[in-house]
Amino acid sequence: MIKLENISKTYGNKIKVLQNVSLAVKPGEFVSIVGQSGAGKTTLVRLLIGEERVDSGRVSVGDWDITRISKREVPYLRRQIGVIFQDFKLLPKKTLEENVSFALQVSGGRPAKIKKIVPSVLKIVGLDDKKNRYPNEVSGGEQQRAAIARALVHQPKILLADEPTGNLDAINANEIIDLLLRINKFGTTVILVTHNKDIVNRLNKRVIAMEHGQVISDQEHGKYLL
Amino acid sequence: MLSLYRIIKFSFQDIVRNIWLTIVTVTILLLALFSINTLITVRLISDNAVTAIKEKIDISLYIKPDTVETEIMALKARVAALPQVKNVIYVSKQSAIDAFRQKYQNDQAVLAALKELGRNPLSPSLTIIPKNFDESELLINNLKMIDTPIIESRDFSDNTAILNKISGITNRVNQVGLFVISIFILTSLLVVYNAIRVAIYTHRQEIEIMRLVGASNFFIYMPYLFSAIVYALISVLIIISVFYPFLTLLQPYLEAFFTGYDINILSYFVDNFFLIFGTQFLVVVAINVLASLFAVRKYARI
Repeated sequence: MIKLENISKTYGNKIKVLQNVSLAVKPGEFVSIVGQSGAGKTTLVRLLIGEERVDSGRVSVGDWDITRISKREVPYLRRQIGVIFQDFKLLPKKTLEENVSFALQVSGGRPAKIKKIVPSVLKIVGLDDKKNRYPNEVSGGEQQRAAIARALVHQPKILLADEPTGNLDAINANEIIDLLLRINKFGTTVILVTHNKDIVNRLNKRVIAMEHGQVISDQEHGKYLL
Repeated sequence: MLSLYRIIKFSFQDIVRNIWLTIVTVTILLLALFSINTLITVRLISDNAVTAIKEKIDISLYIKPDTVETEIMALKARVAALPQVKNVIYVSKQSAIDAFRQKYQNDQAVLAALKELGRNPLSPSLTIIPKNFDESELLINNLKMIDTPIIESRDFSDNTAILNKISGITNRVNQVGLFVISIFILTSLLVVYNAIRVAIYTHRQEIEIMRLVGASNFFIYMPYLFSAIVYALISVLIIISVFYPFLTLLQPYLEAFFTGYDINILSYFVDNFFLIFGTQFLVVVAINVLASLFAVRKYARI
């Protein structure tokens, strides 16, 4: 479903962040991408959501070649790929419910659809009782769950999680990973970018390890080897 | 229609939930508008004052005392026919002495001297009001060329000097005033432009999030552009509600200061309401929208 073919990316003239990276992720897979800071993990995520363009190679999501995606097409791509980040990226002046429904509103979702989907995703992530709170009124774990709910409202086939547990304590981190596993069970492809060794080892899922912009290992039921 | 409703909703939600930012932005707009309107007022007062002074400087032709009235009337018609003349007023000997007595009614020495004289020493005159103050010199030259023995005195040298001096001062005032107003307006517009950019800067994270959740450019830009229009509307409405009472308070002082002159700033603002405040609204909207457009574009880059 997701296919990267010999992609390379350089910032400026010198900093090579990705070098001839090739990998494929099948529909419904749960893949962890691990590596130290500067390994190129986040650049990979940015390429997949159209925030960066590759210098060479080809990136495709399903049948969609996004290598040279136009600016006008980017919002449509982002409605098909859910993304969550380490810093949650919630709108501080909107309630959790508003944050979740916002993603549907800005893409022209009908009110009836919003009314149906938003409460159900908030229930999935366990925030239905805190939907009227603002982000600064809930814990980090709850903020991340709201971000996951927001990523799910478009019912994406792919969920990208860029260091989703980076700002959370161990208990909250495990809760978020359990939530991602549940979402994966529903059939959503999950790509988890992390450098949390304990989490990766606990998952016992496919692990792609990166170093200096290259894939150095790709194991079906891998451990954090770096 | 649904999109428009959502844009308006997001905009108002943002204005209300970021109330302090709204207050600061509108205050900056208000200060800029107040400065501009104050400058307009000062300019109007100075223009009115100069016009009033100009109107007070009339040009007079003094007629020989024994001239018969038909001859004077013929001269009056001749002068009135000059293209630079707006009006000619005939002041008879009797009118002149009546005005003199009225003017010096409290000065017993002058009145006693007049009584001692035993006759009316004043000459009849024609008071000439020019159409255009700037053509006064040409008018004076034309008056000098009228060849008739009934004119007793046509020495305009004092008037010419005063007229030239006032012309010089008003031209200088106009030039300096225009320069100062231009600088002020430019500064105000830059301050407004910057205030809007700062307001958008505080929303940069929101803009980034909007992009990440798949918002189209239309949805990213429009709430901010709409807010920019709302800011302009609020500030112009407030300035109207503040400035009219201010002018109402100012008007009696102006009337007292310029006694005898017709200066009415309030009625000028009322008569030109749409021109003054409509233009200000449109200019502020244009600046706000432009600043919002550039600022949002900066943070909405993919």
